[in-house]
Amino acid sequence: MNVIIIGGGISGISAAKILLKEGHRVTIIESAEEIGGLMAKIANCRVGFKTFFDEIKDRQHLTIIKGKKIEHVERKNGIFKLKIEEHGEIEAERVIIATGLTPYDPSDIKGKRVFTSLEYDSIIDQRNEKLPEDFNKIAFILCVGSRSKEYPLCSSVCCSYTIREIKWTLMRSNPEITVFYNDLRLFGQEFFLEKLFREKGVRFIRTNTRYFEEDEAGVTIRYYTDGEIKEERFNYAVLGIGLRPNQGLLQLSKLFGFSLNEYGFVKEVEPLTADIEGVYICGGALEPMNIKDSILTGFGAGLLASKGKEKVYEVLRENERYLYSEKEPELDIDESADTYLLYAGTENPFSSMFYEYISSRFIDFAKKLIQSGKKVYVVTRNFVSPSYSELEYEEIKRDGVIFINLEEGEYLEKKNGMVVIGGGKRSLSLTVDRIVFMDDLISDLKNKEFLSFYRSEPQLRWSPTKWSRERFHVGFIRHPRAKRWEGREIIGALSEMLLDREEERVIPQVHEDRCSGCGSCKNACPHSAIEIISVPKDVAIFGLLSNTLNPVARINSNLCMGCGLCVSTCPSDVIDLPAA
Amino acid sequence: MTQKIDVEKIIGFTGYKKGDFSVCLGCKICASVCTLNDFSMHANPQGLLLKIFMGDDSIDHDPLIKNCVSCYRCTDACPWQIRVPEVVRALRESLKLSSPFEKAFKGSISIWGRVYEPYIFLNAIGFLIKNGYLKHLMKWTEYISFHLPHKIKRI
Repeated sequence: MNVIIIGGGISGISAAKILLKEGHRVTIIESAEEIGGLMAKIANCRVGFKTFFDEIKDRQHLTIIKGKKIEHVERKNGIFKLKIEEHGEIEAERVIIATGLTPYDPSDIKGKRVFTSLEYDSIIDQRNEKLPEDFNKIAFILCVGSRSKEYPLCSSVCCSYTIREIKWTLMRSNPEITVFYNDLRLFGQEFFLEKLFREKGVRFIRTNTRYFEEDEAGVTIRYYTDGEIKEERFNYAVLGIGLRPNQGLLQLSKLFGFSLNEYGFVKEVEPLTADIEGVYICGGALEPMNIKDSILTGFGAGLLASKGKEKVYEVLRENERYLYSEKEPELDIDESADTYLLYAGTENPFSSMFYEYISSRFIDFAKKLIQSGKKVYVVTRNFVSPSYSELEYEEIKRDGVIFINLEEGEYLEKKNGMVVIGGGKRSLSLTVDRIVFMDDLISDLKNKEFLSFYRSEPQLRWSPTKWSRERFHVGFIRHPRAKRWEGREIIGALSEMLLDREEERVIPQVHEDRCSGCGSCKNACPHSAIEIISVPKDVAIFGLLSNTLNPVARINSNLCMGCGLCVSTCPSDVIDLPAA
Repeated sequence: MTQKIDVEKIIGFTGYKKGDFSVCLGCKICASVCTLNDFSMHANPQGLLLKIFMGDDSIDHDPLIKNCVSCYRCTDACPWQIRVPEVVRALRESLKLSSPFEKAFKGSISIWGRVYEPYIFLNAIGFLIKNGYLKHLMKWTEYISFHLPHKIKRI
């Protein structure tokens, strides 16, 4: 089958990967001169993209058309005929839309010392030997070009990439860093990075600003925090720009006939499927998402295009036992009181991982309560409602839920039957009947193994759902997040399983005759792939033969990742990695 | 205890829906660009909105109530284009904070559609004397006119 992928970014390449594995002919059409898209523009992701792409770049069935645009599309008997400028016609049965995202251009506030995060990234690029001389004080300003009337979605990646840019900056230099944020919408382990940076002296201020006064030596930023206006000089200000839908989508939707939603993304009628037959969507054409989700949806769209919906269900039935999912806990609050205070805040970075989940629950609670005529306050230390969830957040604010954002250093306390916001200069007190604490709601979830927490962040991995070769996490246990992701994740995970079977791995070997079964390898294994089993063995004592059970280590090849920790741990050198 | 702050009434004065103001993100961009803060008045429009929605009575000390000049810089910078000056004006109205001069000025506009100085003078004479505005009287007389203007036609 011929499949056309529009867009040669990370999600397009992911889709190509699974399609090539399934034996189809793939054509990637990229409008830019080079493939890679947005990911390859980020200095520290460039190499990652290259390694990922290098795995498939020499395949015979892969054609890449660069720098060309689609002029005309015709559809006959289920076959798309595409006319491409200076290239001629190509035919395909299925089309995958992987156009990605366009970074917002804040041309009205940009200057020589106020620039976007992408421009900043090219400054701290490791290919530049030297950083600028006055690299002493840097401000990061978040939420530029998202969460606004013009574009009400949250771009969901700006906080995450800002925290990584801080990491990359601190790896090369030691400037004073200040982050101006509205909410820190981080995910999984990124909260540990945040904590680490706070301890290292990075300032986080919960306020935002558009007041920049630039001159030759630096930029003056004025901001309001803790009851007063402050002015501060910085050398540079970095705008955490949001991601908007690709402008090319409008043209494509006219050519192919699929519809867009009101925010400019492709309308998704079923997971990863557009509203006309044979067109699938992945990556940034769906909504703003990070690289790992782009890979996940790319895999998923590739599998759907390859097999079609019905066959994917078959694959699902065959492989269901490898999918691991857990029912999310049923959180509920009683509705007998009149005034409620929901507190979204925690100090523990592990609990912070649940901000996204708790925020979505709080939105549901608040909606229910406000509709039955109660008064609802939500006090937030952080409120995480990425991409489309931001719309629900907006809606309950319109409905009359009052949000009180705690600034740094402020806290909630009870005083004489009132709830008081202390620690800062403002005096704010509330009388409420019932307080719901985030920490209480998630107290049962703390010892679970969430994939997004343990395995995938913050290092980039190519396995968005894999926990082990026998367990692929989807749903709540992968990442506690919105419902629309469930279907996408299942299809992506199936696709990843199929890819995983092909992968070559090196499995260590145990010389069982010499193994004493001490168990040190078992303790060392990070993937619980080693078991100590008993094997019968003939032992000669003073010439007599006796039968005993001997403990030896055995490696479960399905769980083993081939890291070699057991080899280096074994005290008697009985485990070997086979020579490549 | 009767509350001074009646959210519905204030929003009613502005002519907008409540939701147009309550979408506020709490980002405080408005405070960073507010003209009053050029004079270190520590004005925070976002805080004012929050106070209104919470029904906080300590509102009349807010620097915005006294000094806001309706420049709409906050609205321009606000991601949601929230029209704070409108709220401030509505607040002044509902708290009956407008000065006699302001009242006379508005009264003149609503009757004649223009400033009719004798009307303002008569209505706000106490206020003008008390605050020492009469020293501008000489300048005022240069363009003051005493003929009665036409009443505006209400369509």
